[in-house]
Amino acid sequence: MSIEKILVPDVGGDEVEIIEICVAVGDSLEADEGIITVETDKASMDIPAPFAGELLSLSVSVGDKIKEGDLIAEMKSASAATPAEEAPAAPVVATPAAAPAPVVDAAPIAATPAPSTVEIIDIAVPDIGEDGTVEVIDVLVSVGDVIEEEDGLITLETDKATMDVPSTHAGTVKEVFISNGDKVKQGSLVIKLETAGSEAAAIVAPAVAAAPAPAVAVAAPTVTPTTAPKAAPVPHHPQLGTVNKGSIYTSPSIRRLAREFGVDLTLVKGTGRKNRILKDDVQSYVKYELSRPKANAGSSVAAGEGGLQVVSARAIDFSKFGDIETKPLSRIQKISGPFLHRNWVTIPHVTQFDEADITNVEAFRKEQNVLCEKQKLGFKITPLVFVLKAAANALRAFPTFNSSLSEDGESLILKKYIHIGIAVDTPNGLVVPVVRDVDQKGIHQLSRELLEISMKARDGKLKATDMQGGCFTISSLGGIGGTAFTPIVNAPEVAILGVSKSEMKPKWNGKEFEPKLMLPLSMSYDHRVIDGALAARFTVHLAGVMSDIRKLIL
Amino acid sequence: MSNDIKTQVVILGAGPGGYSAAFRAADLGLDVVLVESRKTLGGVCLNVGCIPSKALLHVAKVIDDAAAMASHGVTFGKPEIDLDKIRSWKDSVTAQLTGGLSGMAKSRKVTTVYGYGKFTSDKTIVVEGNDGETTTISFDNAIIAAGSSVVNLPFIPTDDPRVIDSTGALELKDVPAEMLVLGGGIIGLEMGTVYKALGSNVSVVEFADQLVPAADKDIVRIYTNYNKKKFNIMLSTKVVAVEAKDDGLYVTFEGKKAPSDPVRYDKILVAVGRKPNGHLVAADKAGVNVDERGFINVSKELRTNVPHIFAIGDVVGQPMLAHKAVHEAHVAAEVISGKKHTFEPRCIPSIAYTDPEMAWVGVTEAEAKEQGLNIEVANFPWAASGRAIASARTEGKTKMIFEKETGRVLGGAIVGINAGELLGEICLAVEMGADAEDLALTIHAHPTLNESIGLAAEIFEGSITDLPNAKAAKKKK
Repeated sequence: MSIEKILVPDVGGDEVEIIEICVAVGDSLEADEGIITVETDKASMDIPAPFAGELLSLSVSVGDKIKEGDLIAEMKSASAATPAEEAPAAPVVATPAAAPAPVVDAAPIAATPAPSTVEIIDIAVPDIGEDGTVEVIDVLVSVGDVIEEEDGLITLETDKATMDVPSTHAGTVKEVFISNGDKVKQGSLVIKLETAGSEAAAIVAPAVAAAPAPAVAVAAPTVTPTTAPKAAPVPHHPQLGTVNKGSIYTSPSIRRLAREFGVDLTLVKGTGRKNRILKDDVQSYVKYELSRPKANAGSSVAAGEGGLQVVSARAIDFSKFGDIETKPLSRIQKISGPFLHRNWVTIPHVTQFDEADITNVEAFRKEQNVLCEKQKLGFKITPLVFVLKAAANALRAFPTFNSSLSEDGESLILKKYIHIGIAVDTPNGLVVPVVRDVDQKGIHQLSRELLEISMKARDGKLKATDMQGGCFTISSLGGIGGTAFTPIVNAPEVAILGVSKSEMKPKWNGKEFEPKLMLPLSMSYDHRVIDGALAARFTVHLAGVMSDIRKLIL
Repeated sequence: MSNDIKTQVVILGAGPGGYSAAFRAADLGLDVVLVESRKTLGGVCLNVGCIPSKALLHVAKVIDDAAAMASHGVTFGKPEIDLDKIRSWKDSVTAQLTGGLSGMAKSRKVTTVYGYGKFTSDKTIVVEGNDGETTTISFDNAIIAAGSSVVNLPFIPTDDPRVIDSTGALELKDVPAEMLVLGGGIIGLEMGTVYKALGSNVSVVEFADQLVPAADKDIVRIYTNYNKKKFNIMLSTKVVAVEAKDDGLYVTFEGKKAPSDPVRYDKILVAVGRKPNGHLVAADKAGVNVDERGFINVSKELRTNVPHIFAIGDVVGQPMLAHKAVHEAHVAAEVISGKKHTFEPRCIPSIAYTDPEMAWVGVTEAEAKEQGLNIEVANFPWAASGRAIASARTEGKTKMIFEKETGRVLGGAIVGINAGELLGEICLAVEMGADAEDLALTIHAHPTLNESIGLAAEIFEGSITDLPNAKAAKKKK
């Protein structure tokens, strides 16, 4: 038994940095087992134990800069027969696997450079086209695997697709730093790879070895050990349209899988040899299709190029900026949110603004309300009822507004009935009960019904059927304020009328300004169905009826 | 007495299709009733078809091989044939398999009803039991797996015990001195092989201009040449009359190879084909359409025109092969259990267990021409196969059919000993969409007959070294 000092051998550079301590004091080491890993400007490498034995002490720690001759550790050799004299200088620079052995028995001169055909490199996540972190859904290699250049190391899943991070070099995996579920970003360390050196280096090596001068241990590597990324891996299935024009290369099990998911294999890009479609290809195609925003029926988006790719909102920790409280969305908000979003995104909206002179109709309404009260009818006539009635009249005059696009987007379905939805603000959120056959009902009946449905809406007692069958929607913010707004079309309807707060305005009658009570109208419509001129005519018609409700009976 | 059973799935017929459907459905958690008119499970295949014929072909092979050894220095005595013993050995083979099936049915809790089942409505089947008992089965789903039967020809007496079909031939009552096989298809040739080995003089008459018309000419020609001394083969010839006399059946022929006078035979084996049993299950009572030939038309999911009634196997169409039925059976059971599966194979293999065997899968050369496919054929002659030479059977060949541009395997055929066992690789290649290169780069063990497939692919690739390399020679010029 003898205690030996382990010194830094020739590491081919002035100073190297220790990036890892591979062992702990007290460990029993095998000969050639790495004690520390150092990093030069070209590569990283292990400094191995020169013989088997117990590690008594370590004189270095991670981050230390060391150079040839520095003390690394002290070891007690396992057998007395260990060639004690040779030991201090013996540590071989190269890792054991590659060095063609005749090196070690060389005299205690500097280690020979023969193993220079091998180096250990780090492979990191390249530019993946994502700013933030992405999740690792699969680790494809494990320690000891022999891999080829371009072999996948890990699979990442972004919002858009899954992709593999390929190896930049061929070699043996020495260490894997990532496991399933980890979040990584550009630069994250994936594996340590022991590369198989280039042929050139291998050929040069013996010659250098023959002259065991104080040669540089790590001969200039021909394989640059940088982690420079290749071109960013391309997500698997962003392409649309037929990918496989000719025959499809795949197996019966994949065809069955495709059938089960309803996947048209001609649309799937195969990543196997000769574009063979692999199971992963079908799975990633399905994943891609599911994650792609879906167009609503009849929308031109459905057939468009690539659907809508929306950058996902990033999670932000608002508490960093001050106190916050998290309040769940109401049930109605949760349900209506996706529909509002769909309508907003898939319908090309245009909003037409106009004003209706309601000076007369307001005077009339107030007179009538006095009568209503006298007769104890139990309701009041609101301005909205007149808007409702006028809208029904306009819908009759412009049937295009009372329509829906057919599911295939090929035709227009015109409705012969006039049911109008009224957007009602409730404590739980927005609901749109529908008043049926508005064109056939009088002002009194409509007033009564409006009162009823708004009570029901506020009490949360509306039934599903109460909210179905609308042809057109009116959203009135007149009771609150504002001059105009852009309502979102309530698909499958093709237009919606927003009503803001009426205001007394000076209007020029040709001789002088007259005070007129003006009601602002904001009508959004689906431009696929209605063009601008028609929309303007509609609001002009509507405003005309409002300004003189005698027109209702024309 | 009558029983009433209610079940999720009832299957009419317990042949390879029927029992496979039953077992698959049971394994998928369904209640299954299996109706069978025979006393044992397994249908024609196990009882009077594939399996017993293979037992007898095994006997024939050993007899022929033993005789062939004489020219290689080993002479055996003349074989002594004990028909009773051969028959009981053959029966033990089928008994072992059918017994195994009923055991598996029990362990899967499949209810077996023995008797003749017929539809009485689209929800019920009534089974007339072999013991006179009637069972009414109400079902949610049914699978018709009623199989097929032998075709009889009108001008041939059916009541004469000297006229037999494949079932009669397998009974092995005697070894006739002169035997006529009517129909040069797979079944006729297989049984002819057996009777020839046992000592009969066998004549084969076939209306078409080649035996086994479904296979490619070059494949069959090798078979025919090998057997021209064994059988008296009459191609492009038909039987027009059979007169039964006390001393034999006198057969009048017409056509290219027809003898001028009627020829006397001791036995006639009628093997002119099989017809589907679609008309035998009262399918009309369930509203299931059956065409005039007896076939039931089905979708890729194996559904008949009545969506909850399925049909599989011989009764839905050609090829009438057990392995096709089994795969259809699995699909039907899986569809019933809610899986979205379909029967869409790329290929269905065919094998004649003759001597030499003929096996083919995918498109044949003739079909490729008919379909206008751009193909290239690569033939590897077994005369260049060490294994074939060592077995003294160099007549065979391996023929691969590739898509010319891509090298994709479209089909293949093998004639030679063990051809049937060699075919599997080509089936897999077709299903996997493999290319010639894939086969050529797959290391096949040497020396085997199987390596002939890899070598045929090398011929296509131009990398063959076991034969003169025509493609390489062309390139040099």
